[in-house]
Amino acid sequence: KLCRTRSISRPAQVGGRPQARFLSGDRDTAAAAAKLKLRTRLLVTVLFGGSLLGVWWYVHAEREQKLQRQRVEQLRQVALGQGTFSLVDHTGRRRTKRDFLGSWVLLYFGFTHCPDICPDELDKLSAAVAALDRNASLPPVQPLFITVDPERDDVAALARYVKDFHPRLIGLTGTAEEVKHAGRDYRVYASPGPKDEDGDYIVDHTILIYLISPDGLFLDYYNRMKSAEQIADSVRKHMESYVTL
Amino acid sequence: MTAPNSAERKACWDARDHLWKCLDDNDDSVASCQRFRTEFEAKCPAQWVKYFTKRRDFLKYKDKMQTEGFTPAQGPQGS
Repeated sequence: KLCRTRSISRPAQVGGRPQARFLSGDRDTAAAAAKLKLRTRLLVTVLFGGSLLGVWWYVHAEREQKLQRQRVEQLRQVALGQGTFSLVDHTGRRRTKRDFLGSWVLLYFGFTHCPDICPDELDKLSAAVAALDRNASLPPVQPLFITVDPERDDVAALARYVKDFHPRLIGLTGTAEEVKHAGRDYRVYASPGPKDEDGDYIVDHTILIYLISPDGLFLDYYNRMKSAEQIADSVRKHMESYVTL
Repeated sequence: MTAPNSAERKACWDARDHLWKCLDDNDDSVASCQRFRTEFEAKCPAQWVKYFTKRRDFLKYKDKMQTEGFTPAQGPQGS
């Protein structure tokens, strides 16, 4: 009789056998075990997810660096600006490429009789250099303008022209041969058009701004689509990732 | 002849912009914009007048291509 009452008082009993006692007692431990299992599972998921994210981020950063290295390598193989140039600046002083080693250089080829593109590009170049100037931790950039029209752009013409742009802008000219040599070094295309009755003509030419490292190596280029901010950002990135040879 | 300085460049560009605005407003009627055309030719070197005129033609052509579409030229017909 006693046995039966005791067995009825217990809930999920299976005929009052020792099995029932085992099951009900185990429910509490089962609930505790389930909670523990959930917490462990959560922890494991978070750790796993976190490490996946970490791995992804690392791989992404590596890939970015690799792409940057590849691009620099490709530009190095294109081997622009490997040679030297010897030109005269807008104050009449002779300058060679050696004089600019040790500085970051932004270089543009153009001519002073240019209707709109050269002033636009030089304004943009000046704005980019001014933006970089505002960051005191960065080395100063040297803006350069080399003429593709040595016939008309003598020292006086260059002096008149460069004063409308960045104060550090240096204009460079020379004999037809010297200028051609400098242009060839950067694979600059330049073709004077037909002269009109005033003797005036337009020179069709490559419209690019070149970035040159302190080693004198060509690192990057910027076309008409790039804004001054984009150029400044790119130069900053190059400066930060630059390793002296 | 010396190259135009900064002020002269700006004067030329402004004259050009006035002319182009007039042409835009008058459906490219040169007759309606003769005054602006004269101003433009006075303020800009002859080479630049030619250059900007060609540039406008090109920009109009580009607009036309983009809005009206482009039909490729038909190749040689027949045998």
